[in-house]
Amino acid sequence: MAADKKSEVLQGTLDLMVLKTLYAMGSQHGFGIARRIEQVSDGVLDLNEGTVYTALLRLQQQGWIASKWGTSENNRRARFYSITRQGAKQLERETENWERVAGVIDRVLRLERQG
Amino acid sequence: MKGQAAQAREDRAFEEEVRGHIVMLEERYRARGMSPAEAATAARRQFGNATVLRERQSAQRGFLSPGEWGRDVRFGMRMLAKRPLSNAAVVVALALGIGMNAAVFTFVNALLLRPPQGVANTGHLVEVWLHDPKGSGVQSYWPFSYPDYAYYRDHARSVEGLMAFDGDGTNAIWNHAGVGQVLQGQLVSGNFFSLAGVSAVAGRMLAASDDQPGSAHPVVVLSSSFWKEKLGGDPAVVGRSLMLDGTAFTVVGVAPARFTGLVVGAQPDFWAPIAVQEKFTHDQGRITDRDSYWLIVAGKMRNAGDRNSVQAEMHVLAKQVYPEHGSKETFHDAIVYPLTLVPGPFRGYVGAFTGLLLVVFALVLLIACTNAAGLLLARATGRAREMATRAALGAGRARLIRQMLVESLLLAGIAGAAGIAVAWVSSRLILGLKPAELPITLEIPLDWRVVLFTVAVSAATGVVFGLAPALRASAAEAAGVLKEETQTAGRKKSRLRSALIVAQMATCVVLLAGAALCVRSLLNANAIAPGFDTQHIALASLDPGSLGYSQEQVDDFYARLLDRVHSLPGVRSASYAGFLPLGTAREETSIARTLGKHPDAIVDVFRVTPGFFATMGIPLLRGRDLARNEVESKTPDAVVINEVLARRLWPGEDALGKRVVLGDDKTMSEVVGVVGNGRYHTLGEGPVAVVFRGQLPPARTLVTRGAGDSRALVAGIQHQVPLVDPLMAATQVQTIEQYMALPLFPARATGWLLGVSGILAVVMTGTGLFGVIACVVSQRTHEIGVRMALGARPSDVMNLVMGQGLWLTGIGLAIGLCAAFASARLLAPLLYGIDPNDPATMIAVAVGLGAIALSACYLPARKAMGVDPSVALRYE
Repeated sequence: MAADKKSEVLQGTLDLMVLKTLYAMGSQHGFGIARRIEQVSDGVLDLNEGTVYTALLRLQQQGWIASKWGTSENNRRARFYSITRQGAKQLERETENWERVAGVIDRVLRLERQG
Repeated sequence: MKGQAAQAREDRAFEEEVRGHIVMLEERYRARGMSPAEAATAARRQFGNATVLRERQSAQRGFLSPGEWGRDVRFGMRMLAKRPLSNAAVVVALALGIGMNAAVFTFVNALLLRPPQGVANTGHLVEVWLHDPKGSGVQSYWPFSYPDYAYYRDHARSVEGLMAFDGDGTNAIWNHAGVGQVLQGQLVSGNFFSLAGVSAVAGRMLAASDDQPGSAHPVVVLSSSFWKEKLGGDPAVVGRSLMLDGTAFTVVGVAPARFTGLVVGAQPDFWAPIAVQEKFTHDQGRITDRDSYWLIVAGKMRNAGDRNSVQAEMHVLAKQVYPEHGSKETFHDAIVYPLTLVPGPFRGYVGAFTGLLLVVFALVLLIACTNAAGLLLARATGRAREMATRAALGAGRARLIRQMLVESLLLAGIAGAAGIAVAWVSSRLILGLKPAELPITLEIPLDWRVVLFTVAVSAATGVVFGLAPALRASAAEAAGVLKEETQTAGRKKSRLRSALIVAQMATCVVLLAGAALCVRSLLNANAIAPGFDTQHIALASLDPGSLGYSQEQVDDFYARLLDRVHSLPGVRSASYAGFLPLGTAREETSIARTLGKHPDAIVDVFRVTPGFFATMGIPLLRGRDLARNEVESKTPDAVVINEVLARRLWPGEDALGKRVVLGDDKTMSEVVGVVGNGRYHTLGEGPVAVVFRGQLPPARTLVTRGAGDSRALVAGIQHQVPLVDPLMAATQVQTIEQYMALPLFPARATGWLLGVSGILAVVMTGTGLFGVIACVVSQRTHEIGVRMALGARPSDVMNLVMGQGLWLTGIGLAIGLCAAFASARLLAPLLYGIDPNDPATMIAVAVGLGAIALSACYLPARKAMGVDPSVALRYE
């Protein structure tokens, strides 16, 4: 149950992270996305890597990413995901939104410290 | 929606993706120096719960994806198979409910929705009826006279053409190798088949050129069934000649098998042009007679859906036709209807009647639904643990609801399939209620409309009875249930179930009250006095005119037949009538007290010979019967009237010896007798003014009164006719009881159907109440055990259980009685001699249902009394 809840909290942000990763790295498979997030988060995020696939399916259903089968760097069949034009626009909106919210939270937290 | 194969492909692809991911994680851990086993564990930990993921992924891919449904259906089947008995009970109840609805709908479909069979231009066809704006009800609608039809046909521009056909059909005697056989024919206009879009399977259909007056070579088209059954499907039939009523007709073609005409009520053996009408009836002036309304008129619109412009033109023609013809008729409007088997003016009545039946059986189905819902609710309580476990294992609420809905839809689906069978059987049984004399051959196929209706009803049923239990079950609090906190049924749950019981009881009261009223009215209708005896009388229809006999030959035949019949053993008296009261035929005329003055009233006319009143048992109140010379005289001079007319024309005076003018008569007739009132068109009608006179047409009904069983008379009469004239054949030889089946049909059919619905309602309500109370008792076994351990006596337990059941019953009865009082008024037009709010019926229904409820509660209460506290408390 506990792990389940953690992924719920992560849900919104995981989508954003996956989207951004695909935007930054181009076409990538699920394992590669998980590695990239692990690398960037520097081990801070305790990620159930399976949930990446939930995010991928969700994004795909929204039409923000597309997928096709290909061969990975070590010659294994893998599904490669890439961001669509719609997805890029969505990423822009989500990033703005995130920054706004993060800014607010940041200010609120600072207020508390002063009080 | 994705196909099942695509769904499986998606599942496999995802499986491969996940496996690849985990393998890559393992490789990474091994590269860091872990043993393979350690690496596998670490990889799986890092990936998370793959099973939950798979489930969620699959669910997200599609709530409606067929693969998921397939799994639910298989699981549902297993669950249903676990409780075959109680599920079978639910399926039977639902199947009866669905089936009876489908059966009624079969008739709605056959009468009102299906276009006539074998007709190509159905979307374009309309029918036209004359309407007397001064009249009211069905009797203000009239078919056309030939001159009126001809005027409309020649002047209507908004239709491709107007066709006409003989609504009552025309009987003809077929001389088949010296033996007479009665055939049914229909006279149609020459454009009939081309406008209806019916083409011949052999030869050709009739054409406009066949329908010319004075045609030297009369022709007919045969029906497919006549051709196959009576002529053995003779391939050389075209060009063959048939002797019909003494005239040689040339067969020009055979109609397709499916085509039986455009109205319900006839299945002609042959079709002949209207122009040859005189060959059949010797009613010489019918084509030129403006006052003989006998043709049903139909038209083919230029564009489908153009009915309003056709109607507009018909209104205009209706205003022109009489002035241009210089007719004495003032005005008959012309009303346009789409063409179905039931003629337009009657459609409202058929629709109202079948609509009422649909409502009744929808209520029955609703009761079956509440039964099913009650059972599923009880079961949901039992399955709370299963649901909670599945929820704890990660099944979403939607998933659980869907699982429950699939189960109820499965039940409804099985019930629907069985319901189709019920509909097939019961619609044929209903058709069997129809008296044989009603000249209706009706096809009641289970076509796509009926199947669609049944599927829709079944699906709606499944959702209706399945949704509440599904929502309830899925809302189970996992923690609470798993900790076994809820030993007593939750309050919310029992409230819903109580509401179901109350609703069921109330619906049952309404149905049962309706059924009881109709059955009592049926008994009343059987006892209603039609104004003549309904026993010891035999009837036979004869038409020597169809053999081309002269008036003298006709009179001679009837006189000799009457002598013969009089000499039959057991015959008291015998006489003739043009037609009898309460049949389908009808004649009206105007009546005036002074010659040349405006008529005082419109009256019904029955043409009879001396002895008719005595034979029929119609009481002669004053004066005398008609005499033989008065009946046979060409100039009418004597009439007998009924009490209603006597009071209307000469209130407070003696009608005997008064003089009247009937219709166009040039001379006056004297009232020589007054007879008792009767029923003349329907049993439920109000007072009708009637004149009895002579001057009978060649087509007559022989009425014979005997001392004993009228069935014995029937055989005797049938035997006598060919002895008098070997070429003659009597039709519709029957007892008066058989004849009365027709006027009694509406009441009888309603009584039967509502009786069936009432019985179904009572049985379902009784079993439903029993099931719920029994279930409550078994769920409260623990509580009852505690109570008894604490000193409750068995009678206290009895009161507890009975009290709950009877309290619900009481509320249901009260609501139901209110609803029954409110809705009984809808039945009023169908009831004979009983008030729709008849208090005795209502009380009897309430008491009867109460008694049934009492026994339904008593059995489970007995069981509760026998609860052994030590067993109940040990049982956890």
